[in-house]
Amino acid sequence: MSAADLEARLRESRTDLEARLRESHTDLEARLREPWSELETDHETAFARQRDGATLGIWVFLASEVLFFGALFLTYTAARLANQEAFAAAGRETNIVYGTLNTAILLTSSLTMAVASQAAEKGLFRRLTLWCLAATAALGLAFLVVKGFEYREDIEKHLVPGAHFALKQAPAQIFFAFYWLVTVVHAIHLSIGIALVARLTIRGWRDPDFLAENPQVEVTALYWHLVDLVWVFLYPMLYLPGRSG
Amino acid sequence: MSAGSDTPGTETPGALWRRNLWVWAALMALLALSAWAAYWPYGRIDTAVGFGIAGAKTVLVALVFMQLKRAGALVRLVATCGLFWAAILFTLTLADVLSRMVNR
Repeated sequence: MSAADLEARLRESRTDLEARLRESHTDLEARLREPWSELETDHETAFARQRDGATLGIWVFLASEVLFFGALFLTYTAARLANQEAFAAAGRETNIVYGTLNTAILLTSSLTMAVASQAAEKGLFRRLTLWCLAATAALGLAFLVVKGFEYREDIEKHLVPGAHFALKQAPAQIFFAFYWLVTVVHAIHLSIGIALVARLTIRGWRDPDFLAENPQVEVTALYWHLVDLVWVFLYPMLYLPGRSG
Repeated sequence: MSAGSDTPGTETPGALWRRNLWVWAALMALLALSAWAAYWPYGRIDTAVGFGIAGAKTVLVALVFMQLKRAGALVRLVATCGLFWAAILFTLTLADVLSRMVNR
């Protein structure tokens, strides 16, 4: 092959490459979704997107929380299946009055939280939103107070796993190890929720424009409902076993 | 995005409460039923009723209070994902635990 031939082929392949590059460039442009050139939207659209982003973000977090508590609940399930009689005996020792009362308190707090969130979303009823937020935080605190009384009774009855544990079945200690761990983890979650709701209440009370259509209210509400739902499952796990025996 | 029935301006606080209060009433009724059912002398059925009622409460709270009923597809997908992975976790682990119990 002569040198001129080689040069000609080289030139040919270069133009080929350039053509392909140009082609892929147009391809890329075609792949961009339509409104890409109009990203500078009006405030309303931008805000609607922001709100959607906030909702999606908290739901991703809640899904991870479902798995966190799911793993704890699964541990309980496996231990209960292996030690059914001990778990029934241990379940009889928890105070069903405190447990039922606290479930009712949390379910009611979810009602006030939902009303606060929906009222704020409409941006209409500031006073209703404020009162519902305050009631939610107060109900959360009431839950912790009841839980405190219950903890005192549990300690007096020697229901803490260890040397002076009250029940003779050894696996009953597994039940109460779970009881203490999971109720404390739940109480920490609830305390964070109370702080978030109290923050919204105080800022909304100081600034009349803060709560109206603010996505922070919805995000806080969704977290609050999840903490409530965790307790909804803890109720049959901790308070209902062994009642009929 | 939201349903046409609740346009802002026409909604009153009363309507807002009515929309949510029936859910709360249902939740309280389910809680009472759950506490009562625990004392039925049927053993395992009591346990199933307890967890079934917890599931029913979850559906009510998630659909109405957490507004999944009128959420977009993406949010519903994420919410389902949490349950889906948890379901895998439970199914695979319990397949092992329960099969060992049968062999014992």
